Amino acid sequence: MVSCKDKKDEYHNIIDKIEDLSKDYKPVSLSSETYIETLNKVEVIENWQRFYIPERKSQIKSFECNECHSKPLSELQNEKSIKKSHWDITLKHANQETMNCVTCHSENNMDKLHSITNKPIDFNLSHKLCSQCHQKQYKDWAGGAHSKQIGGWAPPRVSQTCVGCHDPHKPHFDKRWPARYNTQMADERN
Amino acid sequence: MKKEIKKWFSLNLGINNQDHKECSGSGCSHNSIEKTEDGISQVFDVNMNRRQAFKKLTAGLAIGAGAVSTSCSLFSGDKSKEKSEIEWEEYFKGNYKLMTEEEKSKTVDRLIRSYELRNGTKINISSKGAEENILFGYAFNISKCQGYMDCINACVEENNQDRASQMQYIRIHEMNDGKGLNFGEADDTYYHEVPAAGHFYMGTQCMHCDNPPCVEVCPVQATWKEKDGIVVIDYDWCIGCRYCMAACPYDGRRFNWSTPEISEQEVNKDQHYLGNRLRKKGVMEKCTFCIQRSRSGKNPACVEACPTGARIFGNLLDPKSEIRWVLENKKVFRLKEDLGTEPKFWYFMD
Repeated sequence: MVSCKDKKDEYHNIIDKIEDLSKDYKPVSLSSETYIETLNKVEVIENWQRFYIPERKSQIKSFECNECHSKPLSELQNEKSIKKSHWDITLKHANQETMNCVTCHSENNMDKLHSITNKPIDFNLSHKLCSQCHQKQYKDWAGGAHSKQIGGWAPPRVSQTCVGCHDPHKPHFDKRWPARYNTQMADERN
Repeated sequence: MKKEIKKWFSLNLGINNQDHKECSGSGCSHNSIEKTEDGISQVFDVNMNRRQAFKKLTAGLAIGAGAVSTSCSLFSGDKSKEKSEIEWEEYFKGNYKLMTEEEKSKTVDRLIRSYELRNGTKINISSKGAEENILFGYAFNISKCQGYMDCINACVEENNQDRASQMQYIRIHEMNDGKGLNFGEADDTYYHEVPAAGHFYMGTQCMHCDNPPCVEVCPVQATWKEKDGIVVIDYDWCIGCRYCMAACPYDGRRFNWSTPEISEQEVNKDQHYLGNRLRKKGVMEKCTFCIQRSRSGKNPACVEACPTGARIFGNLLDPKSEIRWVLENKKVFRLKEDLGTEPKFWYFMD
């Protein structure tokens, strides 16, 4: 194609341009620091990526769990007088043969989650639990393809963690009405 | 400071308006920049006297009459005189692309003052330029988008788009599963519960091409690609010919058929000259990757509003950025790649 554009800025394609211009990349002066000042963060290194995730424990309403769960679950279940708790939670995550409460929650220490091999996992690092099954999503999350940014595009990177968007008890997104209806456009199109 | 060379005469109606001349645009600088030849001087490269005479003549004919009547009237107050002065200066200002930093901050100050005179409230208009080592890019995950359209609402509010005409920069196309990317059969005016069975959703907006055809066709160079890759429009230089709209292969550009109207309390007062400042009737506009947000490190409003995380934005030149990870690790594609427009808007799937 013949063109009379600025020659010094000419590349065969955008990928060549990106590769060339990022060879001697110097970090930019812009930062998203001011937008995330008030957020409690936890630094993680996942799949060789270092970034922050929001702190979780302070967001859980009835944490710490041992304020109610003073005894192991098996003992609590035998106490007839105690009223049913967590009635508002229905588990819609895989099926009952695959998962139940204690797949993730620790029967003996309710303040912790636990892995398949019974190693304790902190509530702040619940992605370690999810990643046991959802490896593909975990890799995309750590890389940045499946992790909503918080703050802004500029460093430092703060990414939403799994439970920030997905309810762990019901991880699927609900059907709902679109946020708007474009009457004008509908008229023009029809 | 170097002696100012103005290309038009200032309208001095005898009011002292120095007090609000302080700089309010964040990108403004009072450093004098070496004056380069601009369009006007190139076109009228004739001797000084004739040039001045020519300008005097045109300027006088164009809006002189109105201004003179204002200035001579005993009843018009300082405010209307100031308004006339601002209108005069705004009428004769040059193309934003050719302005020095000082001229940019002056026009921004005039626009802020003009809004204050009309509405009594202060807005903030930035003239912040592109930074080094930044090239903005966007990625859209078509497996994640559920068609909720929260992005569109956020965009309209952020970018002060006309409410009545329902002008929107973003379109969400409901595609039929099994038919590929068939825009002809896609629906962008759906209104039913989403995601609907048998469909997937795909958003389009300005793709900020690296080789933008809209820029090439503009007869007055009112649209151009900034150093950080954002394709922008100078709304005050646009003549509304809509060539760019015809040239865009992605339906990325919008035209103001009527004067955009937004109620005063809904106006987003955090503005950028090349972004969401209020437009007028008969000019083009489009997505600017929310230049007022992205140039201060934030994500565009659509990215922030997306509840599914289908939208990813970032610096293509930063090897550690998430957008780079997506480009290097996911199977990405772009629309109409064979046109050679090199859009900086990629699509991918989980």
